[in-house]
Amino acid sequence: MSKAKANSKPKDNVSPTVRIYIMGEAKDVPASLTIMKAIEYAGYKLTRGAGCRAGFCGACATIYRKEGDYRIYTALACQTMVEDGMYLTQLPFVPAEKAKYNIKDLSPSAETILRYYPEVARCLSCNACSKVCPQDLSVMDYVQYALQGQIEKATEASFDCVSCGLCAIRCPAEIPQYHVAELVRRLYGKYIQKYPETLDKRVKEIEDGVFEEGFKEFMSMSHDEIVEKYKARDFIDQKKK
Amino acid sequence: MSYGYIKIGSEEKAFIAKVEEISGQNVYSCYQCGKCSAGCAFSYKMDKTVNQFIHLIQLGQKERTLDANTHWICASCFTCTVRCPREIDVAALMEAVREISLRENPEKVRIADLPKESLEKLPNIALVSNFRKKTG
Amino acid sequence: MVQYSYFPGCNLKTNAKGFEKSALAVSKQLDAELVEMPNWNCCGTVHTLASDNLMKRIAPTRILSRSSKHVEILENSPKEVVTLCSMCNSTLKVVNKDIKNDESKLEPINFQLEVDEEEYQKDMEVKHFLEILRDSVGYEKIEKSVKKPLKGLKVFCYYGCMLLHPDEAKIDDEEMPAVLEDLSESLGAEIIFSPLFKHCCGSYHIVDQEDIVNTQVQKIIQSAKQNGANAVVVACPLCAYNLDAQQKSMEKQGLDKELLPIFYFTQLMAIAMGEASNINHFEEHHINPEKLLKKLKLI
Repeated sequence: MSKAKANSKPKDNVSPTVRIYIMGEAKDVPASLTIMKAIEYAGYKLTRGAGCRAGFCGACATIYRKEGDYRIYTALACQTMVEDGMYLTQLPFVPAEKAKYNIKDLSPSAETILRYYPEVARCLSCNACSKVCPQDLSVMDYVQYALQGQIEKATEASFDCVSCGLCAIRCPAEIPQYHVAELVRRLYGKYIQKYPETLDKRVKEIEDGVFEEGFKEFMSMSHDEIVEKYKARDFIDQKKK
Repeated sequence: MSYGYIKIGSEEKAFIAKVEEISGQNVYSCYQCGKCSAGCAFSYKMDKTVNQFIHLIQLGQKERTLDANTHWICASCFTCTVRCPREIDVAALMEAVREISLRENPEKVRIADLPKESLEKLPNIALVSNFRKKTG
Repeated sequence: MVQYSYFPGCNLKTNAKGFEKSALAVSKQLDAELVEMPNWNCCGTVHTLASDNLMKRIAPTRILSRSSKHVEILENSPKEVVTLCSMCNSTLKVVNKDIKNDESKLEPINFQLEVDEEEYQKDMEVKHFLEILRDSVGYEKIEKSVKKPLKGLKVFCYYGCMLLHPDEAKIDDEEMPAVLEDLSESLGAEIIFSPLFKHCCGSYHIVDQEDIVNTQVQKIIQSAKQNGANAVVVACPLCAYNLDAQQKSMEKQGLDKELLPIFYFTQLMAIAMGEASNINHFEEHHINPEKLLKKLKLI
């Protein structure tokens, strides 16, 4: 096992440390940190590869291997705790061209996908993309749905994509899966998803000033009154309605 | 017409061995009967007919083999394979030469250069098979 | 009632919808129901002939493994995966035989599939729907379910390459096949023979060498017409596309006026067995077959 583990006997009030390798350089860092915090703890300043720090933006894609393990692991640095013996590097950007199109001119079909991303036809169904996805999506499945023109299914399967690009970097067919997924979801939103009629209704209500009274009342309240009102709030039973 | 000597040295032997390794066929099984070329639906398009092409492989002529258009005209219909009296999988020899070519130069078809209109129009069965055979 | 695990392949969901819908309808009528397997991926359409390329064998192996699980939940289902597209059929058959006979290929592929909780047990057979119709359903039963015999339809049965080649994938004799002819005959159509019944249409060259496909299609169609055909029946979406679209472009160039409509064999079955005409999706065809069908009073 690594030196770090043998040497680090946790004393009281001192958190245990682990040894990680940041781009080859060994660093001892507290075991309680996420990869992103550990990189900063080790003295690096992140100018790229860090965004929302909450697992939503996909900017902090990280690849790592572990001691005694040949597999390549991937993670979002802000969401993953460091482990002893991690060899890691950040992948702040994945080069891939995003197709330019006017969404109004398209149709939700396989033809559209193949027009803008013909490399989708090169998919080998090897599933390397699904294996690296830090969001645990079935990336291969949504690429296949896109190829089959099943836009709705592809949208569902790719909905949680954060566009970190790790799939694209592992793909032997050189497909930019996350860009394909974005096109798929846009097609879904534009052509398949049911238009929410209640939205128009509510917008009209706002425009007609239905809520103005209520807002005025809130604006004139003191802090304590608002807290009081919040605590006493009543939930409308949606099912009954 | 000029004549030249063909030497079969280590480079030539290495090419023959690579074709045999990828295709799993013995290229010397071919006795040049020409049945493959006679039955091939595309012979008229090939600058070397199928049996001439196999002869080039037998002689280890890598450059001339790769320069021929035979393996790119072949559509893997397997007519030659099922008819070969020596039971050579001729289509596999074609694939082996395509593979050797694609491993050095992975884009016989440049997808980026294909017109967008035809990408949209063509069925995906055509695109998938074309890219499998002509890109590496 | 027998249910079969059915692998569609990409094209039956995009530009050959009529092929799939007509097949599903007639399969129900004949008590040999095709049930689509869940979560399938593209088979690759062509199998690799390179002995050292395992990557391209993963997709078909995953399909076989998933289909094997699918069979468990079906009714009276044999350990068979059924295809309609002849390219899918050929790819799956060749890879299936290949990995069944060669443990050194199957083992690394199964290792790759392990992470997806798949493992192929070498327990599946691949069947083309034509084989099911011939061997399990039988032409007699088909003949009995014909409500509207295809009188006046003179069909040229075009096999293309992949139904008959290579040996591992063929569904009939490669030099004198009969399965499409027998089927069409039991539907009441007249059979027209042309020697170019398996003359390659040019296949995937349509993408970058259209002239090859053009020449091939001209030869095939001309021969069919000379022998008196008024329609072509096929089992492959790529053959169908090439024959269909190239004839149309020849017409535009003024080279040809008399066009032969292209049918999938299941579309002919659906017409003869009285299914609703809209399931055939004739609007997807470049040459509208409805003109001929109306003339023959079949729709």
